[in-house]
Amino acid sequence: MAHRRGRAGIGALKKKGETSKFTKKAEEIKTTSLKSAMETVKQLEIKLTKFAKAHHKTIAKDPAFRHKFLSMCAPLGVDPLTTKKSFWSFLQMGDFYHELAVKVAEVCFAYRSRNGGIMSIKEVQSVLLRRGTKFRLNEVVTNYSADDIVVAIGKLKQLGSGFRTVKVGGTQMILSVPTELDNDHVQVIQLAQNAGGGITLNSVSDMIGWEDDRVKRAMDLLLSEGMAWIDRYEGLEYYWFPSVWKDSFVM
Amino acid sequence: MSDSFKFPEFYSFPPFFTIQPNLATREKQMGLWRELILSYHTSLKIKTLIVHDCPLWKNDQIGRELNPDDVKTVMNDFVKSGHGEWEDDTKTRCRILWRKPEQLAADIYTWAEANGYINSVCTVYELHSGEDVNGMSFEGADEQLLRRALAILEQKGKCTMFKGDSSSEDGIKFF
Repeated sequence: MAHRRGRAGIGALKKKGETSKFTKKAEEIKTTSLKSAMETVKQLEIKLTKFAKAHHKTIAKDPAFRHKFLSMCAPLGVDPLTTKKSFWSFLQMGDFYHELAVKVAEVCFAYRSRNGGIMSIKEVQSVLLRRGTKFRLNEVVTNYSADDIVVAIGKLKQLGSGFRTVKVGGTQMILSVPTELDNDHVQVIQLAQNAGGGITLNSVSDMIGWEDDRVKRAMDLLLSEGMAWIDRYEGLEYYWFPSVWKDSFVM
Repeated sequence: MSDSFKFPEFYSFPPFFTIQPNLATREKQMGLWRELILSYHTSLKIKTLIVHDCPLWKNDQIGRELNPDDVKTVMNDFVKSGHGEWEDDTKTRCRILWRKPEQLAADIYTWAEANGYINSVCTVYELHSGEDVNGMSFEGADEQLLRRALAILEQKGKCTMFKGDSSSEDGIKFF
């Protein structure tokens, strides 16, 4: 395209001080887009609140439905768990998840000396079930799912408690200690999970192909954290993980 | 005999039979052994643990056992915790104290205060089988264990013992 001389072109505009007109227009367009975006979000929020009002009973009773509802809230930046007085307080979700978080934390603390601070969500659920712990949501005793526990842990995490989830293979685990577990550690635990019992340092190198140093480093940490226990049998050393040994293992 | 005792799940956890090198884990492990020894002997009403005869050290179902050194470690920890007492220096027979003598001593003195036995006398028999002791932790207690508890109180100056016509008629004066 040929440069035009004279009146058109940024250079010319700059010269003529007409950039201000363009800046103004650009701002106008930005404001309008933002306005319409905000309008859309507002509309969606209204739809969401109508939905919540109409279905609050199902949200309270059905964990799967509740999970879907929460996933609708997230992208809109709506937090029905907020404890501040807001429209969403009528759902009483804040209280429910707070209660759940407290109980989950209690179980994790109680079992920490046995498993080193790593525990599967499934095991936490079975402990709560065995204890007969019940939760109420909106005056109704409700079932709670693994997803609910994940949300509750999320709340704990927000409070800076050091609680977080980590995935070992297909299993969701809760970490209740500040220990940093890196991929190496998770892989070792997963190996033990797959093996369904104790593993030796050699079996780890055989299966994943790491050098001995790397295996030992990972295992030493897990041992020092109390997440692994050692088993000396017929001249060999096996490492067992209480958190993945047996589905219903309770020590 | 062992069929009437329900073994806890950790008894099938192979590492339970290896003394753990990690301190915190070992603490947990020793606690579990103490619990096991106490509950096993209490539920089967066995008063004395004979170290070389004790069936707890070996679990054939998982093919694991504590080696003799480890047994010593576990037993020393058990006795140290106050729940066991060696009959003699050979350390072969251990009396199981399901209630620690210190705890019984405290319970006895509290009871004595509450029932007006301060500056008064009662017999050893009355302490384990008297009418006043219904529901107390030392009701029906083994006389040996009671005497251990009373010795603790004596040491603290909270009571004094004197001989009766028979051992169960031995008297205790509380202060």
